[in-house]
Amino acid sequence: MKTQLSRRNILKIAGGGAAIAALGMPSILRAQGAYPDRPINIVVPFDTGGYNDRLARAFAPFLQEKLGQPLTIVNRGGAGALLGHTFFLQQPDDGYTILCTSAAPYLPLNILTQDASFKLEDFYMVNLPSQDYTLMATNAGSDVKSVDDAIARLKADPGSLSVGLQPASADLVNFNILCAANQIDANAVRVVTYDGGGPARNAVAGGVVDVGFVGGEGFLPLKEQVRPLMTFDTRKRDNWDGAIVTDVLGSDADFVVGSQRGWGLHGSMQTSNPEIFKTLVNAIAAASQNPAAIEALKNQQLATDWYGPEESNKMLARTAKVMEQYIDLLKGN
Amino acid sequence: MIELNSVFGAFALLSSDINAWLYLLPGLAIGLIFGAMPGISITMAMAFALPATLYMEFLPAIVFLTAIYTGAGFGGSVPAVLMGIPGTSSAVATTFDGYPMARKGLHNEALGIALASSVVGCLASYVILFILIVPISGVVLKLGPLEMFAVAVWGMLLLGSLAGTHMSRGLLAGTFGVLLGTVGMNTAGFVRGTIGIPWLLDGVPQIPAMMGLLAASQLIGLINTTYLIDDEGSRKISFAKILGGVRQTFSHPTIIFRGSLIGVIIGAIPGVGSSISNLLSYSETKRNAADGDTFGQGNPKGVIAAEAANSSSEGGAMATMLALGIPGGGATAILLAAFAMHNIVGGPSFIAHNKDIVYAVIFSNFAQAILLFVVGLGFVYVAGYVVRVPLRFLIPSVLVVSTYGAYAIEGSSAGPITLWVFSVLGWAMVRYGYPVAAAVVGLLLGSLLEGNLLRTNQISGGDFIGYGLDRPWALVIFALMLGSILLQLISKRRRAKEEALSAVQSS
Repeated sequence: MKTQLSRRNILKIAGGGAAIAALGMPSILRAQGAYPDRPINIVVPFDTGGYNDRLARAFAPFLQEKLGQPLTIVNRGGAGALLGHTFFLQQPDDGYTILCTSAAPYLPLNILTQDASFKLEDFYMVNLPSQDYTLMATNAGSDVKSVDDAIARLKADPGSLSVGLQPASADLVNFNILCAANQIDANAVRVVTYDGGGPARNAVAGGVVDVGFVGGEGFLPLKEQVRPLMTFDTRKRDNWDGAIVTDVLGSDADFVVGSQRGWGLHGSMQTSNPEIFKTLVNAIAAASQNPAAIEALKNQQLATDWYGPEESNKMLARTAKVMEQYIDLLKGN
Repeated sequence: MIELNSVFGAFALLSSDINAWLYLLPGLAIGLIFGAMPGISITMAMAFALPATLYMEFLPAIVFLTAIYTGAGFGGSVPAVLMGIPGTSSAVATTFDGYPMARKGLHNEALGIALASSVVGCLASYVILFILIVPISGVVLKLGPLEMFAVAVWGMLLLGSLAGTHMSRGLLAGTFGVLLGTVGMNTAGFVRGTIGIPWLLDGVPQIPAMMGLLAASQLIGLINTTYLIDDEGSRKISFAKILGGVRQTFSHPTIIFRGSLIGVIIGAIPGVGSSISNLLSYSETKRNAADGDTFGQGNPKGVIAAEAANSSSEGGAMATMLALGIPGGGATAILLAAFAMHNIVGGPSFIAHNKDIVYAVIFSNFAQAILLFVVGLGFVYVAGYVVRVPLRFLIPSVLVVSTYGAYAIEGSSAGPITLWVFSVLGWAMVRYGYPVAAAVVGLLLGSLLEGNLLRTNQISGGDFIGYGLDRPWALVIFALMLGSILLQLISKRRRAKEEALSAVQSS
């Protein structure tokens, strides 16, 4: 058998095929130009398995439903989220890259202590549902019974208790505020630094350190192994017993909130692509308020509260300002 | 310690759901393939499969993920034996003797030994876990920085074994590795040695660096050779010889037992895990073996020690995860996320209320270990054909795959760049007679060593001895370490005496 296909005939057949394919799939042609017409990346500036990664993966199916395009999660961990934040800003502000991060404390930390090439205004926070707080806690079997007990001991001898926390963190600032308010020499306390919240919490739960100052949400799975002493917030959180900061330091207590995590966009998008910007903000808002999404995230101990862009950006700016006051502490050592 | 009611409950759970069994085989296969690719870690294989488990029932989902865990744990050993490149950081010690065995034409036996030790190690670890899950979890959290430091020092003893002919060069290479391991931000927030490169803030990327050091020193050195195995007759793939390796494994029960015990204990400590346990087990076995001098030249005992320890770390890590709800490493973090997807939170209350599920997971891991033996035999048989590929095709292919792997694991060009910088470094070290493996061990242990020494200093307020006396577990670890060194000295002296005696008698 011998078939002779000239190049012209092949082109004709191919052209015809393309035309038929185009007719057969009008939806693809129609979608051209309307945002979004291709998959969207979610940049998570941390490795897989952390809070932001879990939040992004749990929320993605619901946001995907609103946007009508698949979402891909891109983990860009490293250097306290500096690498991931820089990577995000390097992507075009066309709405095909969005961010899921711990805006506080990492954005202010990148800017204040790591000479980041960006400003806070380069990011626009659509919603920061997760508002973590510092929990001062001790091992469940510890002989430190209350926050007053701990303060009294540190006052008598600053070296009497070891304190576990993360360097350059909101927790460190809160620890120093507590010391300053009680005339305790923070430099004389045996402060033990850990590389992450997880190891610091394990050290508290195992009684390796006497007291820990660590993000409170992460303590929930260890509930039975720790005794909460004080919550650094103006209200009780997650049903922890113990004091709240205003009980101990007075109603005008100074303290820093913990991680504020959630969804961000390029700040520049407001002027460069206002339509797409609006579409994205609305989609995130709708997905955040979807009862199915709230149910699914709650089951995984992830926050879904809707604060909205205005409130979220304000909260972040406020945190950044307080952190700036303690820049020497954050720069550390 | 074992509750029979829950054991029966576990059997009921497993027999009621056929799905749980259907996912075993694909899970193992995915794990084996991903684990065998240099640079793709166990964590990445599991993260890749995690979304699929969302639509499964709880037990099948966990069985599927733990099957990947088991498969990937062994998969990493295949390139370690055949090409001297550890597929995962937990197979570093496997390269020390597995690769020399392959070069000598004993690749069939080496793969058989690696498979059998992995299967037995995995089984043993789950048996230990089955009996000791509650007591183990009680101890793990109490381990402080001094205990961890002791473990790291124990790992550093390996340097003595890796030094080769010049002890001074071995120590120098090890120190260099430790220094590299401390690059970046330390636990107190100080930044050192990053030369202003932001990618180095988290330290030198360990896996690309390790692949570069080991792979290049092996592969570039082979450039003038035509095949991995010189003797054409030895290049056969023989099922009988693989099984021979399997049989050989069982003649060393002490090594397997020691490896499994070290694996379970080290694996259970959060943040340490299988990448340290295989080194510890290897160095203990070498020190206690009568033919310790031949380690590193293709002694099967070295392969058994490394493989028994790295596969049994899985059981230890699972104990910590199930009993405390704490992920010891990336793989168990993914498992916890899968738990969360099914609205189950690990931790003491989970174990107290769901003993049947815990036992079901343990039993399904027994089945996995046995199935791994079957699947692994087939996999190893196919993979063995690598020795028949001419090196002029093999070397570039492996380097390309390693480059992809390095990119995949870092997600940026920092991975491949690290790989190539360390390739050149590794080649230069081999060229001038410095042991590359010592630098790798230093690199793996550097940050563990430094971070925990620093924390010990912080927590004790500088009073190391006073603090140390209050830490019984640290004293136990140091005592075990000293005891092991003393035993070695005594047995060495006795052997020397016997040799001298027999020399006198024969003359």
